[in-house]
Amino acid sequence: MTTRRLAVVSAGLSRPSSTRMLADKLAAATVARLAENGIETTVETIELRDIARDVMNNMLTGFPSPTLDAAIEAVTGADGLIAVTPIFTGSYSGLFKSFFDVLDNQSLTDMPVLIGATAGTARHSLALDHALRPMFTYLHSVVAPTAVFAASEDWGSGDRRVKTLPDRIDRAAGELAALVAVSDRSATVRDPFALAAV
Amino acid sequence: MQFGIFTVGDITTDPTTGRTPTEHERITAMVTIARKVEEVGLDVFATGEHHNPPFVPSSPTTLLGYIAAQTERIVLSTATTLITTNDPVKIAEDYAMLQHLAEGRVDLTLGRGNTGPVYPWFGQDIRQGIPLALEHYALLRRLWREDIVDWSGEFRTPLQGFQSTPRPLDGVPPFVWHGSIRTPEVAEQAAFYGDGFFSNHIFWPASHTAKMVGYYRQRFEHHGHGTAAQAIVGLGGQVFMRKNSQDAVNEFRPYFNNAPVYGHGPSLEEFTEQTPLTVGSPQEIIDRTLGFRDYVGDYQRQLWLMDHAGLPLKVVLEQLDLLGEEVVPVLRAEFAKNRPATVPDAPTHASLRAAADARAIAKTAVRPGSPAGAAFGLAASNPKGA
Repeated sequence: MTTRRLAVVSAGLSRPSSTRMLADKLAAATVARLAENGIETTVETIELRDIARDVMNNMLTGFPSPTLDAAIEAVTGADGLIAVTPIFTGSYSGLFKSFFDVLDNQSLTDMPVLIGATAGTARHSLALDHALRPMFTYLHSVVAPTAVFAASEDWGSGDRRVKTLPDRIDRAAGELAALVAVSDRSATVRDPFALAAV
Repeated sequence: MQFGIFTVGDITTDPTTGRTPTEHERITAMVTIARKVEEVGLDVFATGEHHNPPFVPSSPTTLLGYIAAQTERIVLSTATTLITTNDPVKIAEDYAMLQHLAEGRVDLTLGRGNTGPVYPWFGQDIRQGIPLALEHYALLRRLWREDIVDWSGEFRTPLQGFQSTPRPLDGVPPFVWHGSIRTPEVAEQAAFYGDGFFSNHIFWPASHTAKMVGYYRQRFEHHGHGTAAQAIVGLGGQVFMRKNSQDAVNEFRPYFNNAPVYGHGPSLEEFTEQTPLTVGSPQEIIDRTLGFRDYVGDYQRQLWLMDHAGLPLKVVLEQLDLLGEEVVPVLRAEFAKNRPATVPDAPTHASLRAAADARAIAKTAVRPGSPAGAAFGLAASNPKGA
């Protein structure tokens, strides 16, 4: 059976967090879509809150702690990435951005990415397309066309006149699954110090 | 094996007193420290080169020339010389001049610098950092090795019939180390020429240093300069010690917490765990330093960062006393144990001159097939047993 590695980055700060809830739903839907195509997926979820100090220390010292290094490896070595942030002050959270700031700026090249965000009201939803999408475009990642935004009301809505949150999650997961299915990132070596086999 | 000090030359306020040394005090302190390095029996004093405050050493050969006149034995070096923004012609001239005045006690470590604006201030483009370093060094080598140079390249006015003066002492150019924190191209450059590779080491985890040095060693062998184990490796280190380990931690902590570069970030405990920084008793310094060999192999030069973060001169001199009396003699003895005879020492003017003489004799004897690496002063180590 073909296997793929999926990394999930959640920048939610509270416990439990709606950001993490959205991240988990996106991951589960993507895994299900891949399974339909005979692809088994392992999921590694990074809660940025757990490594917040490590991220800031990396900013200040220039190198990652072993804990952060493991998280960076998990993300950059995956076949696909789900990245979800709360929207703070009109954009992604500072912690979310800081994590991507300490990555090598070539380490997410060609990475299939599904972006998601949460906030109190839907008035923040365009932050996905004016902040997250350009950031991943800068990193040369391949961002799925559908981005998923969940406002607080989405967790209790079932209004049949509009697309519901589960509908949007399902469509986005389908788009990411198609990209991940053909991604071979996790099988390629990116260590610049790796020597060619003699 | 060589032991010594490398200084960044920062002016930093002492966080325990609030006092900031003047530029003049800092510069004269650097001279005092260099003399102390010789007095306590260490081997190398290396100065950084910077062109922005809070750093004072913008003119390394002036400083090292003065120190040369005040010392007799130690090797004077740099950490690092900016191969990107300095004119290679001026580097060739300045360091050849220094070599004569210091009777050959000179080598240098090349680096690209860590301050972006220095590039435009000196008329260069930081986006060309690596190509600049490669082209400038190729020219520097020719200026030291060929009497008359015709040259043209991307980054500098062409030269026609140019002779760099003075010629290197005894016709032997200073040994060159290449320093880098994380650039494979620099390790490759050092390996290509059979030069030394200096890993700064102090701001990064051991696993990273091990990878870079391993890469350099294998490429050194690939380019035919000897075996991987014979490559010339230097490491940085950072220590603070007192007889009593806890005294060292208590005294150093405010300096650590407020230090440039890593201050206000990880705790002292996290940083000592994740990098080579060691704060404790002389025995703890010895144990940690001996451990470096486990991941880089037998190496040639160990330099420590000592006089930074606002530590007063008096404390730095006490640290040097401890290094000279209690740490380095033990390290010399321990590093010598189980060190294969085929692993060379760091090249010096004397060893490079002997290698050049041997090469000249071999030439007159018309004996083809001299061992690879001879051109880099490594013939004494007889690479590949040729």
